[in-house]
Amino acid sequence: MVIAALATFAALLVAWLVAPSTERRASRPSTAPRPTELVPEAT
Amino acid sequence: MPTIDTGDTAWILVSAALVMLMTPGLALFYGGLVRRKNVLSTIMHSFFILGLVSVTWVLWGYTLAFGPDTGAGLIGGLDWIGLEGVTGAPSDVYATTIPHLAFMAFQMMFAIITPALITGAFAERKRFKAFVIFAVAWSTFVYAPIAHWVWSPDGWLFGLGVLDFAGGTVVHLSSGVAALVAALFIGRRSGLVEPATEPHDVPMTVLGAGLLWFGWFGFNAGSALGANGIAATAFVTTNTAAATAAITWVTISWLHRGSPSVLGAAVGAVAGLVAITPAAGFVTPAASVLIGAGVAGACYAASQLRLRSRIDDALDVFAVHGVGGAFGALATGVFATVAVNAAGRDGLLAGSPSQLALQAFAVGVTACYSAAVTAGILFAVNLVIPIRVPNEEEEAGLDLAQHGEIAYQP
Repeated sequence: MVIAALATFAALLVAWLVAPSTERRASRPSTAPRPTELVPEAT
Repeated sequence: MPTIDTGDTAWILVSAALVMLMTPGLALFYGGLVRRKNVLSTIMHSFFILGLVSVTWVLWGYTLAFGPDTGAGLIGGLDWIGLEGVTGAPSDVYATTIPHLAFMAFQMMFAIITPALITGAFAERKRFKAFVIFAVAWSTFVYAPIAHWVWSPDGWLFGLGVLDFAGGTVVHLSSGVAALVAALFIGRRSGLVEPATEPHDVPMTVLGAGLLWFGWFGFNAGSALGANGIAATAFVTTNTAAATAAITWVTISWLHRGSPSVLGAAVGAVAGLVAITPAAGFVTPAASVLIGAGVAGACYAASQLRLRSRIDDALDVFAVHGVGGAFGALATGVFATVAVNAAGRDGLLAGSPSQLALQAFAVGVTACYSAAVTAGILFAVNLVIPIRVPNEEEEAGLDLAQHGEIAYQP
């Protein structure tokens, strides 16, 4: 049972490593509304 | 033959729940301090760790920290991997009047919040994937060994007589130093306006501080590991130190900056809670007033120095938890007395200056170990996954860039 539990966590770890990279997602058009913070920071 | 005490068991289970609440409280505390575009990512760090370390603690963290020693007082063995042998019966070693599982669960909540504390240092610029791997590694290679050194009866610092009632070195100093290293490694946020960007939601931060203060009663009074007089002492010293530090910080900032800062009250309370943590069950309520007042001054000075430096420890984790943890550990060596806790030791004012030296030694060892291993982990993770997000993501905000969500509708 312990080995199965460890294997489950290992599978999650692998999933995190192969999950879509930020850059790929960021390059797709977002369907989320643009927040007001996306305007350049006031200086 | 250990037997279960129902009062002790009830108190420790409630304390574990109180400490659990501290991590969402920390999420709000940190979440209010960042800019609007990064509030979700900051909250997510703490909330994800709540899940992540809960699992790793059950699988291997607990046995490494509290399992039977491997021989040198450095790390526990794998006897209790996956909580094998950890049951509803009391342990022969730890808190012998409560179920072993209750003790494990209480300690799990400490293991959860410690890496979450570090996240304030790299807020607004850390890649989530790298953060996840860092958190697993840090919890395993930094937290578990230090907890074993200080809290296992076989731990080498425990054997030397180091006092740490609820985690001044194990939790706060280790995470505070790791935060400083992380801030240096990851570099300054881009696009910061000077002086440093104001918090986007002070009420959120004050709410978080309130939840932390509430949960800290479980953290410290629960560390008595029973419903007894030591728990009551720790409860009172905890509240007194937090209260003194809050009003002292406000006073200092009022004199220094010309106004009594609400944010200062929240941060000051947390500084007081940090400093009393190692001392809570070893000192008198009067001593906790002095500890609260002293740490407010020390942490305020540290935060001002940080502002003048180029180090972007975004949410002052080192100034509050690193400096506060060290201050509390040393104060324990000054104010501890067996008149309060017969299981403790006398400190400087009770005629034992060697205890202060021992506390200073523990501070030095913990800080050096945490700094070195944290740096190694950051370097290794960065080889596989760049820790810092690209500039365009940082400018857009991590909520949208890393999580595809926003906190507030326009």
